[in-house]
Amino acid sequence: MSPLQLCLLLSSLLFCVGLVAAMARSNAILVLLGVELMLNAANINFIAFWRYGPNPEAGTGVLFVLFSIAVAAAEAAVGLALVIAVYRHQKTIRLASINRLKG
Amino acid sequence: MNFAYAELLSALRPELSLVVGALLVLAVDLPKTKRSLERRTHIACGMGAAALLAALVSLLGVGNLGNIWGGVLVLDTLALVARGGVFGLGLLTLGITAGTTRLRNPAEFVAVILFAITGFALMAAAQQLLLAFLALELASLSLYVLAGFDKTRAESAEAGLKYFLFGGVSAAFMLFGFSLIYGLTGSIELPEIARQLALSGPSPLLLVALVLVLVGFGFKAAAAPFHLWAPDVYQGAPAPAAALIASASKLAGFTLFLRLLWPGLGGVAGGGNGMAGWITVVVWLALASLLLGNFVALAQSKVRRVLAYSAIAHAGALLLGVIAAGWAGVAPLLYYVMTYGVATVGAFGVIAAVERHQPCVNLADLAGLRTKSPLLAGCLMVFVLSLAGIPPLAGFVGKFLVFSSALQAGCMTGWLALLAILLSAVALYYYLQILKPALVLPAQPDTATRIPVHPVAAITLVFAAGLILLLGLWPSLLLGLF
Repeated sequence: MSPLQLCLLLSSLLFCVGLVAAMARSNAILVLLGVELMLNAANINFIAFWRYGPNPEAGTGVLFVLFSIAVAAAEAAVGLALVIAVYRHQKTIRLASINRLKG
Repeated sequence: MNFAYAELLSALRPELSLVVGALLVLAVDLPKTKRSLERRTHIACGMGAAALLAALVSLLGVGNLGNIWGGVLVLDTLALVARGGVFGLGLLTLGITAGTTRLRNPAEFVAVILFAITGFALMAAAQQLLLAFLALELASLSLYVLAGFDKTRAESAEAGLKYFLFGGVSAAFMLFGFSLIYGLTGSIELPEIARQLALSGPSPLLLVALVLVLVGFGFKAAAAPFHLWAPDVYQGAPAPAAALIASASKLAGFTLFLRLLWPGLGGVAGGGNGMAGWITVVVWLALASLLLGNFVALAQSKVRRVLAYSAIAHAGALLLGVIAAGWAGVAPLLYYVMTYGVATVGAFGVIAAVERHQPCVNLADLAGLRTKSPLLAGCLMVFVLSLAGIPPLAGFVGKFLVFSSALQAGCMTGWLALLAILLSAVALYYYLQILKPALVLPAQPDTATRIPVHPVAAITLVFAAGLILLLGLWPSLLLGLF
């Protein structure tokens, strides 16, 4: 297997692990962690495609990853703020028990 | 390179004035003064509106420039109209905010609204995956904050968290899809991607990438089965935030994906010749949204949830418009989404104005609105009938344009358009369920007898209702721009 294929395998695996965490976990912070794993799986893709792609000197993939890491950090900040806001009212961050809104 | 920077700076004048406006709003509210909350709200909204007006004026000054900054941004007619529409919907939202809300931190609320609108404006002009992703995230992160902004209500925080979790997962899906597209084509510029895809043709990996990108799109558009956040967010968020999420965010999202799907990935659209492509996926999304939105809305008893499920149904019709845009051009879709946005902002504005004086959760809470405030009842009638698609209001023209272009586009979308027309009859029932208490039923005894409307909110609502009527009678005012 070529290094590119190995990288893609790793990133797909990471993406699936993140997705399962985001879907199955009940703790809001662990869901947040799952989302971060999924974002990082995409970052690995960008790096791998940049490194083994036709023109690595353009640096597109690396630039994309730098921006997306910054976005992920901002997203974590907003997410944790919202988790705290929910905790203040409901004294829990278990998603199963945060269900005031329903039809 | 200096010349290019100057060009970029001048092309992005609208966004610059929004960002400067947002910072000024924050700065003016910063010193501790004895101003009342209402006054602070009015100052913040006034400054925000000034920034938006400045953005609109400079948008007209920038005009139609074509590709900017080596094709990263494109300022064509679509971008021009969409950015103008986003600024207009932002102005309506600020009008509602000024007249109806009592949030503890009005300046921050207005500033975050302005940041979100900056994101929308960039989404409408992005022609490169990186900028598209950043603009989308700027808009989305601002909207998550807006949805959870009302710290006094547990529902608001919960709506924000739910919106954030769904949005985060869908953003990750989209980023993964973008990374695969980058890997397959070696580029993140849409024209270059289109060129490479024309050479290589569809591949299994490309299909995976398309599906991943469309998951992100489906979330942004609140299309079934990615709609789960919409009812909760519409119900829990502060009314102006919900209005922005339902209107300007949709407009910007559809513009971005229109650009991504047709000029960028148009070569792998599939459809007619039996080849697999993204049209098949979008058709399924549209079908699911039309059915689920219209039928689940029938069972709702809460005003905002009815609006949310109707938004899902409208998303289905808009997805039809996205497919048809490949043949009929973007005008029908843009007309539909803009007039839909105005009607939705108006409907949320009426809800917000009622909420200020009495609870407005269930449909029954609207009872007697006709006697309590004829103005609100009349505006609500215009907005809701426009959403239902009753002539001569703009909603009818929008539906007519989108469905007729979908009928011409092809066999699959033609059947879907017929289904959508049939479902409009179903939709009329739940729209009239909103109007029945407001216009016919008598008021409940233990509620407010009169609902005074703040002048700013009244002007905004009347203006929005007038716009709906005007665009319905003279659609060419908007269609002529294309």
